[in-house]
Amino acid sequence: MPGLGTSFGRGGATTAPSDLVNSDAILIMGSNMAENHPVGFQWVIEARERGAKVIHVDPRFSRTSAMADIWAPLRAGSDILFLGGLIHYVLENNKDFREYVIHYTNASIILPEEFKDTEDLGGVFSGWDAKDRRYDGSSWLYGACVQGGQAAPRSAGPHSGHHKDGTGTGAAADLRDCECDPTLSHPRCVYQVVKRHYARYTPELVERFCGVSRERFLKIAETFCSASGPEKTGAICYALGWTQQSKGPQIIRAASILQLLLGNIGRPGGGILALRGHASIQGSTDIPTLYDILPGYLPMPNLGLDSHNLADYVATHRDPTGWWWNFDKYIVSLLKAYYGEGAKKENDWGFNWLPRVTGDHSHQGYFLEMLDGKVEGLFVMGQNPAVAGPNSRLERKALSKLKWLVVRDLVELETASFWYDSPEVERGELRPEEIATEVFLLPAAGHAEKDGCFTNTQRLLQWHQKAVDPPGDARNETWFMYHLGRRLKEKAKHDPRPRNAGLSALTWDYSLEGTMQEPKVEEVLQEINGYAVADHNLVSGFNELKADGSTACGCWIYSGVFPRLGENRANQRNSQDLWGHGWGFAWPADRRILYNRASARPDGRPWSERKKLVWWDEQNKEWTGLDVPDFTRTKAPNYQPAKHAQGDEALAGDKPFILHTDGTGWIFAPKGLADGPLPTHYEGLEAPVSNPLYPDQQSNPAAMRDERPENRYASSPDDRFPYVMSTYRLTEHHTSGAMSRMLPHLAELQPEFFCEISPELASERGIENGGWVTLMTARGIVEARALVTRRMRPLLIDGKMVHQVGVPYHWGYRGLVKGDSANDLVAISEEPNVRIMEAKGILCDVSPGRRARGKAALDQWNAHLGRK
Amino acid sequence: MPISAFLTDASVCIGCKACEVACKEWNHIPDDGFAWSGQSYDNTQALGASTWRHVLFLEEKQPMGPQLAGIEEPFRWQFLSDVCKHCENAGCLEACPTGAIIRTEFESVYVQPDVCNGCGYCVVSCPFGVVDKNHDVGTAFKCTFCYDRQRDGLMPACAKACPTKSIRFGELEELRREAQVRIKELQDRGYNDAQTYDPTGSSVGGTHAIFVILGQPEAYNFPPAPEIPTIHLKSAWGSALVSALGVVLVVFLAFTR
Amino acid sequence: MAADPQFTENRLDALREEAARTGKVQDHGIAPGGSPFPKPASAVSYHGNPVLKPPTWTWQVPLYFFVGGVAGISAVIALVAHLFGNAGLIRAGLWVGFAGALISAPLLIADLGRPARFLNMLRVFKLRSAMSVGAWTLAGFSSAAGLAVVCHELILAGYGNDFLLVLEWVAEISAGLSGLILASYTSVLLGVTAIPVWSENRKLVPVVFLAGGLGSAAAVLELLGFLVPVTQFIGIVASAVETLVAILIELRGRYVDRPLREGAVGWLTRAGAALAGPTSLLLRIFSGHSSVARYVAAVCFVIGALISRYAWIVAGRVSSRDPQALFRIQRPAPNAAAH
Repeated sequence: MPGLGTSFGRGGATTAPSDLVNSDAILIMGSNMAENHPVGFQWVIEARERGAKVIHVDPRFSRTSAMADIWAPLRAGSDILFLGGLIHYVLENNKDFREYVIHYTNASIILPEEFKDTEDLGGVFSGWDAKDRRYDGSSWLYGACVQGGQAAPRSAGPHSGHHKDGTGTGAAADLRDCECDPTLSHPRCVYQVVKRHYARYTPELVERFCGVSRERFLKIAETFCSASGPEKTGAICYALGWTQQSKGPQIIRAASILQLLLGNIGRPGGGILALRGHASIQGSTDIPTLYDILPGYLPMPNLGLDSHNLADYVATHRDPTGWWWNFDKYIVSLLKAYYGEGAKKENDWGFNWLPRVTGDHSHQGYFLEMLDGKVEGLFVMGQNPAVAGPNSRLERKALSKLKWLVVRDLVELETASFWYDSPEVERGELRPEEIATEVFLLPAAGHAEKDGCFTNTQRLLQWHQKAVDPPGDARNETWFMYHLGRRLKEKAKHDPRPRNAGLSALTWDYSLEGTMQEPKVEEVLQEINGYAVADHNLVSGFNELKADGSTACGCWIYSGVFPRLGENRANQRNSQDLWGHGWGFAWPADRRILYNRASARPDGRPWSERKKLVWWDEQNKEWTGLDVPDFTRTKAPNYQPAKHAQGDEALAGDKPFILHTDGTGWIFAPKGLADGPLPTHYEGLEAPVSNPLYPDQQSNPAAMRDERPENRYASSPDDRFPYVMSTYRLTEHHTSGAMSRMLPHLAELQPEFFCEISPELASERGIENGGWVTLMTARGIVEARALVTRRMRPLLIDGKMVHQVGVPYHWGYRGLVKGDSANDLVAISEEPNVRIMEAKGILCDVSPGRRARGKAALDQWNAHLGRK
Repeated sequence: MPISAFLTDASVCIGCKACEVACKEWNHIPDDGFAWSGQSYDNTQALGASTWRHVLFLEEKQPMGPQLAGIEEPFRWQFLSDVCKHCENAGCLEACPTGAIIRTEFESVYVQPDVCNGCGYCVVSCPFGVVDKNHDVGTAFKCTFCYDRQRDGLMPACAKACPTKSIRFGELEELRREAQVRIKELQDRGYNDAQTYDPTGSSVGGTHAIFVILGQPEAYNFPPAPEIPTIHLKSAWGSALVSALGVVLVVFLAFTR
Repeated sequence: MAADPQFTENRLDALREEAARTGKVQDHGIAPGGSPFPKPASAVSYHGNPVLKPPTWTWQVPLYFFVGGVAGISAVIALVAHLFGNAGLIRAGLWVGFAGALISAPLLIADLGRPARFLNMLRVFKLRSAMSVGAWTLAGFSSAAGLAVVCHELILAGYGNDFLLVLEWVAEISAGLSGLILASYTSVLLGVTAIPVWSENRKLVPVVFLAGGLGSAAAVLELLGFLVPVTQFIGIVASAVETLVAILIELRGRYVDRPLREGAVGWLTRAGAALAGPTSLLLRIFSGHSSVARYVAAVCFVIGALISRYAWIVAGRVSSRDPQALFRIQRPAPNAAAH
């Protein structure tokens, strides 16, 4: 998300799957789209049928590879090397879309002298504090702040990268005060800095360290990079193959840079399709279940940094130029939605009732604290950390330290039963009689048993209706949270301590309906849409929100979904065109392709008839076209801002990236990411080779390893763990398997935990197809069936054969079909911006035969660890 | 009534198995057991009494048209959803002694579950190995061509669920034409081994479920020249007659000795 | 679980060894990827999985084949005996026929997946379905044999009159004719299927089943005490035919007949053929005067015929599992003879 946010302004897919039919080339990398987004993949097939070239780059030959025109095997973890190679190819051969690059990106910006690249400093950028292990990003900033000589706040902190979609906190980068070189030849202009940064990412280096032959790499480069220019566009699709790495956002940044250079963002058939996960992962960051953000990607205040009062908070986060100038309107409207009448100007609209971030409250953060006995209770709703959490062995043990655990789900899944049937119990590491955790298992309603709304990968809100009542005591989440809140508020009435003031002030007045007294979910959606406080009239969009307390809005990016009573746009089912206008509501404001100003030339005409999307209507003096313009409708293409203009008015009429302070697409990201303004190849936290570029900087310096006895790492390389594995998903199962291993029709499709290995590895280790193997890493030991297949192949990396292993992660110790959990092998680690663990490209060993049972399994594993 | 037909196209199948699941969910078919086969991603392995759509996974050392996939040698992975062929001349229908198996108004072959008494003769009479007996229920089962859905004007569940339109449902002659167009298209694009599987030249007389395949039929376990067993009636009964006459002769001779 | 055990590196080595030692390979071979071996067109299949479904019939069915054969031919013997005025054999033949009919129906009903619906067999009559023909034939034969027995016993008991005499003739002729069909249709049942070893032997199996029925009927009559020249003659002819058929199957050496020659089923087939063929034949020829020998010959034939029915069913099961058996019939390889 911050990868896309820093590059373009919003941390979400810039396009929709159906737009892929307009692509001339599609690069799918870090993704197995056919298997994990099979319905969305129909558009890739359609594109291919229309002549598009589909390229798949992946460690495994998956069902996506089977449908591609070109496949290249990749060493897991070397994505930035590959993408950097493509950037190198574009820059060395002058294949960039020059006019787009000059006008729509920050390629021409001249960077300050203080900025030093990794090529200058042997693997880190300027501002690296080796003691604190973080960057001071002030030398990356360009524009007014630098010239003003003010010390900028550190850009990395307990804030992680989700807030403001990653566009970053810190002083503005105001284009009006920047030096630019439109000829792109000044040695310190972004274009030249980037060219130097990727100068060593040659096809030869790609062959040597990615495992992709020079020939195939160049074929891919030619094919994809030719989908550029006024008449052609290309799209990139990615998923967890990229995000589950210690440098995930940087990989996405590399793809973003490539797409900006090729001029593909904001254009039909172009863009970056971040393939987000099932049902409503996009929704779960929009209305967040993340600790560090508030709805609409507003930052959760940090204790001490920005949280003394609302004014400080706003001053820290509000950008003087660009769309985030409206920041105060959104936070105030949100507070009014939360606290209603209790939110007044005098009490900063209730700002001080919001919690403050005091440390690493991420999933990994609190599970580690849980293991240390510092967490009392946990609600687990629609999640299964006992199987799906990184280092699931550690997480299961951590659960045993809780005082209480509430699990709401459709079945008694592994997280609820850990205390009596987990491997830890079988191995004697945990004894049920010694576990003091009180476990409450509550039945949950399924998706057809409740009203609600999903937000899927293309930012599309789709309403779904309740078809039947849930059985027995099963209840939906809204019911649960509402009534829990109601009861807590009752208790708070009799407990007037200051800590309960916020709870008491919370508006909690949805209508209840039915025998089960379920809150009306449509009312929640209306609150999310926003309304005028005085008369409760719904607003028609975020343009109507105010900072004076007269509006309330639960999530400003969703504003417009419910513009008037009776018009639930998420529930519309009248699709009118390929992008789905009339079906559901895409945020923001039903714009289907973001940054679509870039689909027109600087003067407002489309780049070409074939690739037209939005354009300037000279007669009516407004932007018009096939999509809702992602631009101020009446701002002319030749508009130039006045010297001290603020907000959106500070951006010229040819600057499509309106969330950015300078309106450009950031090839160089001056702020927003904790680990650097440009993607750099680092090896993973465990790797089979040393970093070929920077021997002194093996892996991402800012990534967190959370190393401790229960969470160990192999060395890079490590004789005990010579192979490279990645976890992944299959079409047939759903995440931790709690919703698929319990169903016969899905369980029978893939009944057993298996791993995929090459015939060469099988022959080397005496493994037969269909046999059992034992997999070990520095974290744990599991057993799986062996699927020996040509689809896996060893790669020649720097002269030695590196074997790769594929490990699907759907099995656990309950259900119709059971198996060991692959996440027992994965470490808890945290990428510095989004705190996602590295599950791709980790080191393992594979040996024939089943693992020992019970406690003996630990002995077997420890014996292996002891080898050196 | 127009003849209902399936055209299943391997060149756009992504092996997602939505067809298998949709069929099972709609028809309330039980699972087939939880055995892992080690045969690529195919744990279903064959059609049967409790599997009426079966997705095949072929890993082959051949190129897939112009695809650039193999490294030292050609390689491809292709998928295809198999189904009851609903033969023009159906072996199971001819064999059935109770008249349970009938031809519907959609020209599909349908086993009436309330008439079948589980004699098992259809099972050995299908040249494609489709129909089988469910040993718990005792009677024979196979794809119904979603007879109930078709009667309500809906398309079969598998066709509905298929995300890439690999399974197309329509009128037989039209789908036959589409198949020919598709083959030409594929061959022009470099898929030299694209062909249809629709045994019109055999005694089966063509099927109502036709396929676009890449490579030999045998690779999919499709019989290259399927025959309806009843073409052998004459030779079998002929031999029986001669043998019977022989028996009578021997018995007569026995008494005259 | 693992793919077809034929397709492994070990097997390839064994074949290479055999080739080196004997100069030729008695197998259709395997073709590992990139190998120099010529690959017959139909060596490809889907993971070596079966194409066809195996027969679902259980032990009642081959037993019924046997009993039906005995019953049907017994009725024929009874009819011919009546023509020649052999009173003892008439009565015995009719009773064996009728008893056989009584056993047959329950056997078949027990094999049905839904026995309670057995009457659905008579819901329609389909000439093109051997099983439909068989169901009606059994119904007809049982009625005719029953009627014949009733008439015969009534006449023997003294209640005979012209009507009963004519009725008995009608019944006996009906039983005889339908008995021939009863004894032979089961071979057509097998031959008109998709199962390769059955359909490719569709002209041979009627000979086997009728010879078996003939010999078994005679054997049963012998075991009931009829050690007479009629049964001896029939026994010799039947076992001679069994012997010739067995030799033919061995000599023909066709791929599709492998279940009859190889593995456990091969030995079962040979056991059945040996007992009903040479054993029974030689016992009759060289010790035909000894009643013990004739009893033994009769028992051998009966057991052999029973085993042989069972072996044909199991051979069908094995044949259904081999995709190459089917493919080779339909697309014979260019150089490897499908024979």
